[in-house]
Amino acid sequence: MMRRVALTGIVIILQVLMPGEARAATDVTVAALLVDGAVYDGQTISVVGELIGDYGFRRDGSAWSQLNGDTYATAPLLEGGRPNGANVGIGVRVPAAIIEDLDPPGDYHRRGPLVRATGTWRYHDEDRGGETYLDAVNLEVLEQGREFDETAEPAVVAAGASLLVLALWFGYRIRKRSAG
Amino acid sequence: MLIRPNREDLRLIGYNLGRILVVVAVAGLLPLTWALIAGESAPAASFLLMIGISAALGYLMMQRPPQTTRLDWSHGMVVVSLTWLIVPAIGAIPLELSGHYGSFIDPYFDAMSGLTTSGLALIQDLDHLATSLNFWRHLLHFLGGQGIVIAVLSVFAGGGAMTLYYGEARDDQIFPSVRSTARFIWLVSAVHGAFGIVALSAVGYFVLGFRPFRAIFHGVTIFMAAFDTGGFAPQSSSVGYYHSAAFEAVTAVLMIAGALSFGLHFALWRGRRQVVDNLEVRTILTTFLGTLLLTLGGLASAGLYQSLFGLTRQGLFQVLSAHSGTGFATIPSTELASWGGLAFGGIAIAMALGGMASSTAGGVKSLRVGLTIKALSSQVRQVLLPEGAVISTRYWHHGWKQLNPGLIQAVMGVSLLYVALYVLGTGVGLMYHLPLGSALFESVSAGANVGLSVGVVDPTMPFFLKLTYIFAMWAGRLEFVAIFSLVGFVFSLVRGK
Repeated sequence: MMRRVALTGIVIILQVLMPGEARAATDVTVAALLVDGAVYDGQTISVVGELIGDYGFRRDGSAWSQLNGDTYATAPLLEGGRPNGANVGIGVRVPAAIIEDLDPPGDYHRRGPLVRATGTWRYHDEDRGGETYLDAVNLEVLEQGREFDETAEPAVVAAGASLLVLALWFGYRIRKRSAG
Repeated sequence: MLIRPNREDLRLIGYNLGRILVVVAVAGLLPLTWALIAGESAPAASFLLMIGISAALGYLMMQRPPQTTRLDWSHGMVVVSLTWLIVPAIGAIPLELSGHYGSFIDPYFDAMSGLTTSGLALIQDLDHLATSLNFWRHLLHFLGGQGIVIAVLSVFAGGGAMTLYYGEARDDQIFPSVRSTARFIWLVSAVHGAFGIVALSAVGYFVLGFRPFRAIFHGVTIFMAAFDTGGFAPQSSSVGYYHSAAFEAVTAVLMIAGALSFGLHFALWRGRRQVVDNLEVRTILTTFLGTLLLTLGGLASAGLYQSLFGLTRQGLFQVLSAHSGTGFATIPSTELASWGGLAFGGIAIAMALGGMASSTAGGVKSLRVGLTIKALSSQVRQVLLPEGAVISTRYWHHGWKQLNPGLIQAVMGVSLLYVALYVLGTGVGLMYHLPLGSALFESVSAGANVGLSVGVVDPTMPFFLKLTYIFAMWAGRLEFVAIFSLVGFVFSLVRGK
């Protein structure tokens, strides 16, 4: 019993003394954070996901983005992936210098960089008006972002154009009749 | 005896539906242009198809014009209720072709949710959706919040416009002509649009550090969803995406503006001071403060937020979103589901009551709540006073008016129908073994066109539950009268002589 207490004490002292990014981080999924966020409050965690939406560079030297931990990072819809539920994402705050050189975040035309974000999970952060986010100090790029190919279906274009011509002809008939 | 509608009746209804579809086709040019500029070719093709179908169908229905284009009451109501069933089907075409849906009913659900300004969504992988499609989802909010028929009335005047106007659950006629009233509604929206888009884009660019195009994109989409009390957001984490009190503050102003009746906007623009006497204003302030206190009390007792700023910021935004019928959230649905107790109740009550009549908000509406309370207090006074005492109850709503039995009956009737709609959705939810709280919350959210969710609305939910919520959104938006007219019309088509 005494030995366990002593070991725990040593671990705690090491956690405090070591630099943040070097501390052992618990691997957590985004889904787990959304379901049970309070459990991880204040802990150093690592989360894997795709950076998506925007990189918002704020005046205080931080940058904000969203980290999605769903299947669309590995199986995007535009590359033949199947719809697999709503997105599962968390907000991430990082020092701007870390995110500046990354590939652009994911959107319709691209898959954003797949990263392992490590930092402190802040649940209902008092200093930020009750917001919940990952205060990341390190982003390890697991896979660079990439562009998607997308083209219009010729059949859809042809059908749309044909119907539009038909509509214009109908409209012309109505106009001609009302003029007559 | 029921009179069977004749060909002329059908032609009249078809002709007016055709005009509405042509306006929808014209509205489709906006996302098409957006898609072409943004280089989104697949969505551009799907918008072309939608425009083609809507325009061809619209002009086809207008090919055989009726003898008179004057709509009577029942025709107008049938046109409105059918419009709100057909336009979502047209609007769902580009959504269906996007590949972001698992079932054919899901894009229709989202289009109905968009048009009725509900904000519940079954879309999957929203964060990779084309910006033009995202714009279209929000434009559906804008068209529906303004009233799609209002859009048509602004373009085409015509006999019987009044029935179309009332059919869309509006009763504030601000100007003698419906066309002028419709144009005033668009003017109010344009002014708020200019302010809202500039303010949101400025916060996005200067405070949040977004790129200029992205700041404008967020500004435009959030404005349409906030002012029209819709609830769709361009990113999956709703307004929580922005992590900014400033952005939430501007959004809150727009939600409040959207929940005010256009009649009140008119009064405020004219600088009229009777706003303080207005029964609806007093009622909404009272119910808002009541539900806010309930929610904050619940959150405080649960110890969910350690700081007062955090508690009030999160509680206030969620209650405002619920009461205005918007449905934005700054917290995930999983967290909202865990609120429980008073906070959960506060949000549910706020959703059920809704905003003002003749606004873009849903729910029972503050005017009905205020009139119901007035009627009940009048009844209590009647009981307490000596037999034969005459009680006269007045209220202020764009002028002093007398509370009469006919009005009380109408108000109580619609209020009860809302309760029945909430109960119906809850019952269907319970049938699928949802917990009572979740079933009730989601049903109220759909029926009151709010859009907040505790996670039940999901692509995997049962087909019949999706249908139930679609019906709830439709019925809740049109406030029942137009729907009863449609049922009566169909019945007389079958059984009439």
